[in-house]
Amino acid sequence: MKEEFKIAWRNLWRNKRRTLITSASVFFAVFFAVIMRSYQLGSYDHMINNFIESFTGYLQIQHAKYQDNPFIDNSFDYNDPFALTILNADKVVSVTPHLESFTLASSGTQTKGVAIVAIDPVKEKNFSDPESKLVKYRITDEAVKRMKDTGRFPDVVMDKVVRNLGRSYTSSGRLELELGLASEDNIRYMPEILSCSGVSNGYLANDDQGILVSDRLAGYLKVAAGDSVILMGQGYHGVSANGIFPVRGIIKMPSPEIDNKLIIMTLPSAQEFFDAEGKITSLVVNLTDKSNRTIKTAKSNISSLLPDSNTTVRTWYELNPILYQQIQGDSQTGIAMLGLLYLIIFFGIFGTVLMMVSERKREFGVLVAIGMQKRKLKRIITLEMMLLGAIGLVCGLLASVPLILYFYFYPIVLKGDLATMMEDWGWEAVMPTAWFGPYFYWQAVIVAFMILLTMIYPIRKIGQLKEMEALKG
Amino acid sequence: MKVLELKDVNKIYNSSMVKVHAVNDVTLDFAEAEFTAVVGPSGSGKTTLLNLIGGLDMPTTGEIIIGGTNLSRLSSSQLIDFRLNNIGFVFQSYNLIPVLTALENVEFIMLLQDKPKQQRQQRAIELLTQVGLADKIHKRPGELSGGEQQRVAVARALASKPRFILADEPTANLDTKSTENLLDIMEHLNHEESMTFIFSTHDARVVQKAHRVVTIEDGKVKSDIEQHPHN
Repeated sequence: MKEEFKIAWRNLWRNKRRTLITSASVFFAVFFAVIMRSYQLGSYDHMINNFIESFTGYLQIQHAKYQDNPFIDNSFDYNDPFALTILNADKVVSVTPHLESFTLASSGTQTKGVAIVAIDPVKEKNFSDPESKLVKYRITDEAVKRMKDTGRFPDVVMDKVVRNLGRSYTSSGRLELELGLASEDNIRYMPEILSCSGVSNGYLANDDQGILVSDRLAGYLKVAAGDSVILMGQGYHGVSANGIFPVRGIIKMPSPEIDNKLIIMTLPSAQEFFDAEGKITSLVVNLTDKSNRTIKTAKSNISSLLPDSNTTVRTWYELNPILYQQIQGDSQTGIAMLGLLYLIIFFGIFGTVLMMVSERKREFGVLVAIGMQKRKLKRIITLEMMLLGAIGLVCGLLASVPLILYFYFYPIVLKGDLATMMEDWGWEAVMPTAWFGPYFYWQAVIVAFMILLTMIYPIRKIGQLKEMEALKG
Repeated sequence: MKVLELKDVNKIYNSSMVKVHAVNDVTLDFAEAEFTAVVGPSGSGKTTLLNLIGGLDMPTTGEIIIGGTNLSRLSSSQLIDFRLNNIGFVFQSYNLIPVLTALENVEFIMLLQDKPKQQRQQRAIELLTQVGLADKIHKRPGELSGGEQQRVAVARALASKPRFILADEPTANLDTKSTENLLDIMEHLNHEESMTFIFSTHDARVVQKAHRVVTIEDGKVKSDIEQHPHN
């Protein structure tokens, strides 16, 4: 075997340029495949993590019919002992109750259908954190007038301020970023801009009877913190639900659709309003990690803890089938692209194999003529091809390791509209790579498979070799 | 003692339109330590005859028996092993393994025979010394002249201790000096190691060295003459 390896290795370098070109093609295919896949999977991970941690959670306990009919009638009993039982289940990190429904909201002459989400204000801070979405600054006509009245702002600064008229911000950093002042102007004028545009918004206390109104809805209803909103709707089992609620604060939701219709209130207040004492529509469960195994184990554990068959446990991908399918679809597209890349490389390798067999037909004939068994010759050629693939594969994998490591710990920071949108959602605007996993090792399997496929040709040719014909070349 | 027997051997190639009778009813035998030249014009059937003797091709009819073994009765795999252990080949264009050194090329045959490394090396060096290449054992074929490569090929052919050596126009690509040198070596090995040599040739100088000359024409043995070699 040692001798066969020696011959195979030396044969490989008989045509250095060809070996290098073929190995380089495998190298680049593996390198780009690994990097592309790593970014793709890293982005999915990032997206899923953000989505799960801000919206659905890893699992949700719901009434069995709630997924198909999301009405308050399809709610279930919630109390502290039940929450504690779920919290104590294996792999569970936190539980957060929600009660969701729809009503009409009215203020002055304005009325609109709105979505009510009732939360536990303290527990919710660890999940979607509405407090971080409170509007802290708003460029209003009044704010612009105050700035102009000082007479200290140059035109270039005022132009930028006026261009953002009507916009609201959840942090000073956000306002700075979107105004985009030159660094000197930023240092000189930003404190005063913040002071003129600052608005006062409060969060909810645990037993608060007030509400948080989303920014665009507040604009439509023409309400601000301190005003009141009348809610009218249908409560649990068809009871009439009416009430007047003081607005504690305005929150800015990144999705315009949600920002147009969201009202947040406390759980006790909503239960009283909807006459749904002790009821919730979902209990959001966060887990130690998002691996399929953990999700399945936790789902099974929690299912066994449920009081009756009216409640069920749903995974994040059951709750978000569209997101899940989009990721799956995009992933399949990525795999198809990699397939195309490998297909091109396959034909490159196959071309090398064809040339090699054609050039060495006579040599094969001589070797068999002087007494080398065909199986031994096949072994040498197999070794040769495997070495050819292995050089490119190992180099490609090794070259990708530092890049994956670097961008895993220091992800690419996104800029522009995409970054703004992601940050508005409360997500970090970064694009990380995925940690080494099956996608990394699969490249070795794919290259090995390609080599195996290309080997069929020389092995068949050697099998069919006729010494006399081969010796004639 | 007979090393090789050919009994009523025929080889007919069926081309698209005509049948070519490349070897026609040849009956010959070769004894140990013979130094035989097979001569004849181009297309006379010399190479076909040598290929049949070497088991590289099978006769249409007739028998080829080497050391009591009928080649026609061997499977493809058995035939390869038989060639390895019984026949040494010297080709017109040397056909050494380009990636191996002279020493490794000679060792290679013994490697196929699963001989131990020490024994392989010792015999390979011995043979390369005999063919006058002791100082070039670590050179690859590309670094050797045509004559030197052919001498390595002879050493390789001898390495497996075969019953006989088949050489198809071994001097065709060599200059005069290299031809004489190679013939001296072959003659010496024939004499010293009692090795049977059967070679096809066009070259009158090679024919002069032969102890027996078999002339082939149109696939038939025209003459089979014993002679005293001219030195």
